[in-house]
Amino acid sequence: MVPFIGILLALLSFGVVATMFSSEKTSKTLASVFSLLALVVVVAAFFYMAQTGSMNYTENYSYYIMQPSISLGFQFSPISFVLVLMASIVSFVTLLSGNVENESRKISSILILLFELAAIGLFTSGNLFLLFIFWDVGVISLFFMIYILGSSNRRRAAVKFLIYELFASLALLFAIMLVYFYTPLHSFDIQYIIANAGLISLPVQALIFSSFFIAFLINMPVFPVHLWLPDAHTEASTQGSMLLSGILTKFGGYGMILTFFMMPIAAHFEVPIAILAGFSAIYAVFVLMTQHDIKRIIAYSTIVEMGIILVAIASFNQFGISGAAYGMLAHGLTIAMLFLAAGSIGHMFAERDIRNLRGVVRNALSTSYTFLAGVFATTGVPLTAAFIADVLIFIGAIKTFSIYGAIPLAALLLLGAFLYYVVNKSILSTSEYSSNPRFIGRSQKAGYAILLSSIFIFGVLPFLLLNFFSNI
Amino acid sequence: MMFALIAILPLIIAAFLALLFRNNGSLVKYAAFAASVASLMLIIYLYLSISGWSSLQGFQWFSLGSISFNISIATAPINMFLLLLVGIMTPLIFLYSIGFMDTQSQQARFYFEMSIFAAAMMLFAISASLITMFIAWEMLGITSYLLIGFWYWKEKPPAAARKAITTILIGDMLMLAGILFIGVTYGTFEFSALFSAAPTPALDAALLLILLAAFTKSAQFPFHEWLPDAMEGPTPVSAFLHSSTMVKAGVFLIAVLFPLYVSAGLLPVILIFGLISAILGVSNALAERHIKKILAYSTIEDLGLMFVALGLGSLLGAMLLFFVQTFYKGLLFMGAGSLMRANDEREDIFTNYSSATNKLIFIPIVIGALSMAGVFPLSGVFGKSAIAGVAEDTNVLAYAVIVLLGLGSSIYIFRWLFIPMSKPFKNEKQVEVNYRTIPKTMIAAAIILAILVIAAPIFNTYPSLLTLELSSGSPIPISEMAEVSVIALVGLAIAYRVYRQGHQLHVASANRPLYIAFYNSIIVNGFYMYLTKAVAIAADGLGYFDLKLDKLTYSASSAMLSVGSALRKIVNGQTNVYVAAFVIGIVLLLALFIW
Repeated sequence: MVPFIGILLALLSFGVVATMFSSEKTSKTLASVFSLLALVVVVAAFFYMAQTGSMNYTENYSYYIMQPSISLGFQFSPISFVLVLMASIVSFVTLLSGNVENESRKISSILILLFELAAIGLFTSGNLFLLFIFWDVGVISLFFMIYILGSSNRRRAAVKFLIYELFASLALLFAIMLVYFYTPLHSFDIQYIIANAGLISLPVQALIFSSFFIAFLINMPVFPVHLWLPDAHTEASTQGSMLLSGILTKFGGYGMILTFFMMPIAAHFEVPIAILAGFSAIYAVFVLMTQHDIKRIIAYSTIVEMGIILVAIASFNQFGISGAAYGMLAHGLTIAMLFLAAGSIGHMFAERDIRNLRGVVRNALSTSYTFLAGVFATTGVPLTAAFIADVLIFIGAIKTFSIYGAIPLAALLLLGAFLYYVVNKSILSTSEYSSNPRFIGRSQKAGYAILLSSIFIFGVLPFLLLNFFSNI
Repeated sequence: MMFALIAILPLIIAAFLALLFRNNGSLVKYAAFAASVASLMLIIYLYLSISGWSSLQGFQWFSLGSISFNISIATAPINMFLLLLVGIMTPLIFLYSIGFMDTQSQQARFYFEMSIFAAAMMLFAISASLITMFIAWEMLGITSYLLIGFWYWKEKPPAAARKAITTILIGDMLMLAGILFIGVTYGTFEFSALFSAAPTPALDAALLLILLAAFTKSAQFPFHEWLPDAMEGPTPVSAFLHSSTMVKAGVFLIAVLFPLYVSAGLLPVILIFGLISAILGVSNALAERHIKKILAYSTIEDLGLMFVALGLGSLLGAMLLFFVQTFYKGLLFMGAGSLMRANDEREDIFTNYSSATNKLIFIPIVIGALSMAGVFPLSGVFGKSAIAGVAEDTNVLAYAVIVLLGLGSSIYIFRWLFIPMSKPFKNEKQVEVNYRTIPKTMIAAAIILAILVIAAPIFNTYPSLLTLELSSGSPIPISEMAEVSVIALVGLAIAYRVYRQGHQLHVASANRPLYIAFYNSIIVNGFYMYLTKAVAIAADGLGYFDLKLDKLTYSASSAMLSVGSALRKIVNGQTNVYVAAFVIGIVLLLALFIW
């Protein structure tokens, strides 16, 4: 038995420290190497688990705190593994090619590695205590990412982000404490809670559930607590946006799945939650249509997609949960690619307003194709990962909510229609076109290639991961 | 096992070659042509070698829970029929493109997209499960978007491409919903399983959604307006799109699922929408001036007639028109492409000069026009008379409409032919020179198609080629064919009288209200414009609300701040206030204890 998670976390921790002591020049390379090594370990873990045929796998280290007993326990489940895989790919690409602006390499490299550590730790933590720690480490590292590295209005956006996320942390902490006190053995262990939370009296369960729900709702984000997201994405650097949309929003999605597994009372709230989530998706797509900043448009598309994923989670059947996990994989990769392309466009043309951008394709061929591929992947064209996700999500939704489960497809339709409008307006051209003062490097193109091929790999070979979802 | 898929392989390889050698245009175009010929050979071999017609093969793509998602293909007659049609058309289109795209840049991109497009249509032809079909369906949509917008640096193509993809996207989402209803209800996506499944309300709803999706793909009312705009793409794309791929996908899908539509009782819906579309197609074609858009509206009419045949319950009639339309429409588009090339890409039939002096170009066009109008013994008459015959027996109203449409379509196609001819040719030496320098591959492709148009009736007599598992496959009565031919000739006479002899301008200007009634695509487009406006207004409203919501959170935080500053006034460092507060506190505490 190879302790993959231990190796991963140790590797990334060591990477953070090593990057701290490296010079400004070498920091990016060093961090990328560590991130790549982490990705290799994740892939190795995949092959190992493919041989054993199961993705349910735990690692327990010594006690972290003896009294109350909190162990350093980690676990892989199919859902968490999918998210770890996504997080390691996205983090690696972010490190390798996200720094389009090419500034403050060292601080950004450290923060990205730290965030990757937090993300992998969160998705694999076996108890809620560790989950909470990693949650806050992730939030804080991204707060600094926005605060230090964004555009002119970044400080205001960063503080707004922090306030929303701290509120979420507070709700999360409250819920965790309640769970601890009301489970018979006073435990933070997720497996134990899943097995025993039914013993908690219903009113308390409702309180715990709603507290968890609010925390994860803010993070996902879903209407009406989505307002931090567009500002944070617009003001953050390209790297910040990639991590925010690609990975941070998945904290909420993963937590929401856990909540549904842990709290049996969740079954009572399926319909209202699905209505809220569906409304959020459709609401966000309408708001998206009034935006002009290309990054803001993509940011709102995250709200749309996460709303659809919440519908899937609320349907709470095998298809819905698998679809939500796969959807988060697909969305993480796609949105990172779109933000990378949008960031490159913004950097190259010094302009992100779709009303002023013209004929981007003339001067930025690969970026334009990548953006178009990202639009296809967002609308769920077959052979991209999002297609598999959409099929599973809507099967799940239709199974639980009958034909009403298909309504969020309307949001996807409007989203696609508007994104094609954006492509027409800014990417393709009439006779006039924007000139570009700057070019992007090889590393950005490498990033496009990695993300695009991942999207296709998971779209063409879905059975690689979905085989493990047969018994959730 | 999956032998039929091998037929697609050459085109996929060609597409990858185009990616690899994207700087070597000539290699790419010949590779693509060779690949299309290779896949035609493979398809013919398949035809000759398959003995068990309705063999179904598949493998599991992935599975979850009780549902298995399969890539399944079928080689039933109807599948092989479309596969063969696409297989025949692909090399011809590629041959035409070698000449047509010769002076155009970006050959590699063109052949990459075209190869994928053709491969997607072939996969669509043989797909036997809803999942396989949907993959091909979406690939068709995406590649057609890329191809229509191929000349993206021009003004109109991007807009046309967006119109197409938006309409298609509506269809895709409806289709996805329909497919998933079926998948959830029956736990399977296989066509074969659906035919034996017990009908449920979910199936009816799903069939209706799939029908609407088919309308978007096949450009039927109310989703028909993207097709005329799609003429902004290169002409080989139009020829391909209108003859055997893309727009035929919708009709074909309904034909494959035909037994389900019969038992669900959706045939009247198909009939009504087919009739409306055919009427709109004819009326717009009569009023349109753009040389390719006339043909586009005519495709809407043809597809409408195919839906009418399906709506009347005649699968054979629909498939016959489907078959013959492929050749004459491909031929007419190729002719239009040559005409535009000789006339410096002018698109208006009133400013174009005909190719009458160049017989190699002109005669195939005339054959195409005659076939389209339905003159015996060219192949078009078989499709039209089969449908008219069924209508005469079952639905008199539909029959009357079809006869009128036949007359209308004969008039507009000869109008299309005669107006460029009616101008004196004397001062246009350049056009004549241009006609002489049209690449031979373009001419050759059109001639081969003209031969196919003439020879197509031979295929029709071979039952083995068109065994559509129909008992009602009775031969078309001669009287019906004669009737269609006579109508076509009447149309020809009218068109000759009106357009060839130079009265066309009076017709257009004297009947202004009539013209608008005919040219009603403006109204349909206007409707969609208002719809978009409504969405935009809703978006503006919600966007405003979103801003206000954001402001609200800010005012909540400033409220907190003002509470803070109010409280700060108490903590002001004045000892007497603190002492007073302390005393009050002690008193209250004592009171509490005593109580």
